[in-house]
Amino acid sequence: MMGVQRDRVRFNVGGKTFETTSTTLANAGRNSFFGALFDENWNLQPMNSNSELFIDRNPDCFAVLLDLLRTGELYIPPNVPEKLLCREAQFYGVLDHVRAAKWGQFDGNRLRLSRSITGPAPGDGTAIRAGPDGGCCVAHGSMVHVYDWIMEEHPPINLDFQRVNDAGWIDSESIVISACERLGTGDGGMGLFSSSAGELRSKFQVSHGDQIKSYTAGALAFSPDCKIFSSCKGRSNEYGVGVWDQITGKQIDFFYEMPGWSLGDADKLQWLNGYNCLLVATLFPRKDNCYISLLDFREKNMVWSWSDIGALTTFDEKRVRDAIAMEGSSSICVVNEYEDLGFMDLRSAAASVRWSSRSRLMSGKMSDEPCFPKLALHEGQLFSSMSDCISVFSGSDWVLTSRLRRGFGGSICDFSIGGDRLFALHSEKNVFDIWETPPTSVL
Amino acid sequence: MSNPQRKRNFQIEAFKHKVVVDPKYADKTWKILEHAIHEIYNHNASGLSFEELYRNAYNMVLHKYGEKLYTGLVATMTAHLKDISKSIEDAQGGLFLEELNRKWNDHNKALQMIRDILMYMDRTFIQSTRKTPVHELGLILWRDNVIYSSKIRTRLLDTLLELVLRERTGEVINRGLMRNIIKMLMDLGSSVYQEEFEQPFLEVSAEFYKGESQKFIECCDCGEYLKKAERRLNEEMERVTHYLDAKSEAKITNVVEKEMIANHMLALVHMENSGLVNMLLDDKYEDLGRMYNLFRRVSNGLSTVRDVMTSHIREIGKQLVTDPERLKDPVEFVQRLLDEKDKYDKIISSAFNNDKTFQNALNSSFEYFINLNARSPEFISLFVDDKLRKGLKGVSEEDVEVILDKVMMLFRYLQEKDVFEKYYKQHLAKRLLSGKTVSDDAERSLIVKLKTECGYQFTSKLEGMFTDMKTSQDTMQGFYASHPELGEGPTLTVQVLTTGSWPTQPSVTCNLPAEMSALCEKFRSYYLGTHTGRRLSWQTNMGTADIKATFGKGQKHELNVSTYQMCVLMLFNNSDRLSYKEIEQATEIPASDLKRCLQSLACVKGKNVLRKEPMSKDIGEDDAFFVNDKFTSKFYKVKIGTVVAQKESEPEKQETRQRVEEDRKPQIEAAVVRIMKSRRVLDHNNIIMEVTKQLQSRFLANPTEIKKRIESLIERDFLERDNVDRKLYRYLA
Repeated sequence: MMGVQRDRVRFNVGGKTFETTSTTLANAGRNSFFGALFDENWNLQPMNSNSELFIDRNPDCFAVLLDLLRTGELYIPPNVPEKLLCREAQFYGVLDHVRAAKWGQFDGNRLRLSRSITGPAPGDGTAIRAGPDGGCCVAHGSMVHVYDWIMEEHPPINLDFQRVNDAGWIDSESIVISACERLGTGDGGMGLFSSSAGELRSKFQVSHGDQIKSYTAGALAFSPDCKIFSSCKGRSNEYGVGVWDQITGKQIDFFYEMPGWSLGDADKLQWLNGYNCLLVATLFPRKDNCYISLLDFREKNMVWSWSDIGALTTFDEKRVRDAIAMEGSSSICVVNEYEDLGFMDLRSAAASVRWSSRSRLMSGKMSDEPCFPKLALHEGQLFSSMSDCISVFSGSDWVLTSRLRRGFGGSICDFSIGGDRLFALHSEKNVFDIWETPPTSVL
Repeated sequence: MSNPQRKRNFQIEAFKHKVVVDPKYADKTWKILEHAIHEIYNHNASGLSFEELYRNAYNMVLHKYGEKLYTGLVATMTAHLKDISKSIEDAQGGLFLEELNRKWNDHNKALQMIRDILMYMDRTFIQSTRKTPVHELGLILWRDNVIYSSKIRTRLLDTLLELVLRERTGEVINRGLMRNIIKMLMDLGSSVYQEEFEQPFLEVSAEFYKGESQKFIECCDCGEYLKKAERRLNEEMERVTHYLDAKSEAKITNVVEKEMIANHMLALVHMENSGLVNMLLDDKYEDLGRMYNLFRRVSNGLSTVRDVMTSHIREIGKQLVTDPERLKDPVEFVQRLLDEKDKYDKIISSAFNNDKTFQNALNSSFEYFINLNARSPEFISLFVDDKLRKGLKGVSEEDVEVILDKVMMLFRYLQEKDVFEKYYKQHLAKRLLSGKTVSDDAERSLIVKLKTECGYQFTSKLEGMFTDMKTSQDTMQGFYASHPELGEGPTLTVQVLTTGSWPTQPSVTCNLPAEMSALCEKFRSYYLGTHTGRRLSWQTNMGTADIKATFGKGQKHELNVSTYQMCVLMLFNNSDRLSYKEIEQATEIPASDLKRCLQSLACVKGKNVLRKEPMSKDIGEDDAFFVNDKFTSKFYKVKIGTVVAQKESEPEKQETRQRVEEDRKPQIEAAVVRIMKSRRVLDHNNIIMEVTKQLQSRFLANPTEIKKRIESLIERDFLERDNVDRKLYRYLA
């Protein structure tokens, strides 16, 4: 028996023989074809050197997946279509392994354009939202197209001609969509949809004084303790921010808009876990003025606020077009249409915007059909979209470190980061780009 | 079909149909899988090919037969579970649980294998349709078909409860089997465990312990009962660790606590001849500890124990401090207090876990009854006096500290700390002036303790007394160094006492013998020569003298006497017989002192250096005195004490009391002024409250006295009443 490895396994996959060890196959985990196969329940006949196990599957894909289990790296030869490989991986229950090997941990400064997908809608995208496991959804008018991480399109979500305002993922199976109320129909509002089937699962109701009312749901935000926030416009001037429980779907709170301020029209909501507050930003041009505030729902308190009411409007480049709170530095970052970044201190009650001249990149050269700039924050990196490219700022001083540009498709109207991927949606052609960090190589 | 346009469409659909086509294919595949499930349940799986079954299940899902596969699974598994349920129902008596356990294990194993085969369905079809995953489904079907089966449900519960009851009555049961069955109920979900076992278990247990505690309370004494309750509690906790859900521990111990402790709390504490008071009296640390640990578990348990202990200590303490027998010996009195405190300290530390609330209860009880007796401050000072005079000889430094600390503890309970100070000053002065103190270190140590307790002000005068003693020594050295001619003749030792620091009374200086008064004059001029601006007055009532005497038969003795006694004795150098009147005239000693001094010289057996006519115990104004030539003593040195009452006599007590009251007046006034200075305006009740609070560390101020002081301050224009609200006072700067 000397020199004979006891855990050697021989497979015949679709006519081709493979030899490996049960140790290698154990990397697939118990919840896989291989994990079950080697479980003692299944009483596998002891292997002798001649016996082999037949599997009626594609041998080329098996080779790639076996190599993945051996090394943790994924190399797909040109003769194997990715879709085929994924189907086989799904059969063996190792699809998660494939996904984990396909791209690396997100780093804004190492992103490569992986693919561009052209969708069926005729342009004018509303929003793109990255899912938790590498998929995404794209909202166009009254449709939301859902893609899994293989970029396989699922049945679209059809909102029956209600205009979609925002969308967000609760988990890889569920998407929340907010929509406009159509005049005279009493619909609109917010619903939970299945990402794989595109079906409506439940609706989120708003009631005022124990009466259920129809409403238009705007921007969405989610908190780690399973709450959904949405800006709401009711028909009888019931404006404000509603709060629902993700699990029960019940409305649990409502923050009413106060006179002279704007909440129900908000463009952007962001939950700040450290502050236990919600950032609400209503921006030009939805309203003539910008209103940014921090709401504390426990006390029904506006704990911090800023508005440009009364500011000189002669320099129109100073109009704030997007805002994002950065808890780490206790500040709010804003951007104007020339991609000037500005900062406000959350700790001072009477905050004012401190514009950063260094970030100005675009002075003078505006594209023909500009999109409003958008901001995103991910693990200490700040992303700002402008025209057809996305700038990456890093470090405590927010230095410009990278730019992502593809060169066609027109301006970027929205982008989103999640599942270790960045998705950028172009406004002219109905195209979105997927940016990934390449996986770290063994070599 | 001949329409060419139709044909084009048909081609596209033809591909679709090809995949979903043969309905027989789906049935055949399902038959294979169904057969496999049968074989698995029949322990006949060795002939099955996992690869084949997995592929078949995969194909069914791929070809959109997921629903068929899923409903087939539910039906097949349900059928098997119904069979299983039957065989469990048929199990005879004791084999019931074993059969249930065996079938549960079989089902679990089968479920695992079925899940392996249907893994692809679990991952894809079930996820997207939001159906119950295979494993969970298996548990739910087991629950509905086996556990909820009408012939199993109550039998299972009854069997489990009976086993628990048998274990409670001392039988040995199969705990392993019990654990497996309970674990099964928990695996089916915490609500199943709660409904099918925990809830009824708790109810039955409550009934059981209600009955048992009733039985015990009728036949056991308190200590025994607590032992049994403790054992039951431990048994239940052990039961939880052996075969119940850990979350049940709090619930079942709650039941035992309620039934065995909470419901019988008062009966236990007040149980005749064995309740809490008896335990305290007999120092039953173990029983007390057990009571504490059990009662701690129920609400109001500890407060019940604490209240009974408190009222007992107060009762005992009240007897102690008001018993007239005890008041005869102050040292014994204080010693009894200390012993009582030690007793309860030990009980609290060894049985009551050093519980702070019990310590506080003990302290407040002591504070309560010590102050019931107005003489407590005096007695405590006398106790210290006794210890510092003689009691501490041969005692190590640490032990001295221990005794002093205990005294301080009693001191803390005193409300009238200033009274203590007054007595302490008197006693300390006597000790210092007579040189009777055993240990300077011990004296100083106690002063430091008092200082940390009550602040600098409290002890500054006491410390002044020590300084005076030291300075006097130096002064005497200086005096004799500058008067070398004084080597011969009597030696004078002067202690210069600062007025105010010492408890001096204005007293008439007596006539000193000529030799002495000359010496005193020399010292006076020396002292005033070195210190300007001072005045010396002699406190002849406080001094002592050593004089040599030769008696009838020529025997010599050295007599240790007071200054007054010396003055009297010196008169007998010149005459053999002196009448009381003559002595009074010659010495000018105040009558009461003189009488006491003559009594100690003439009437004390063994110390009677004088003889008096007529012989009687008391001194009369017409008595005559002679040198007692027959005086003998086996000692060369004879100490002639003064007859002093160790305790204060009634008039002296009144006097001290009056002095204390007098001293309080300026302190109350100072407090009022301090408070008003910062508050400017304050109403009467608040003033009283704040003054009382501020003076608490020294004495409990009497509200009427405070009111009087405020009135006096108003008279002297420190304060005024508000014109509108007469209850308000204003401070006048």
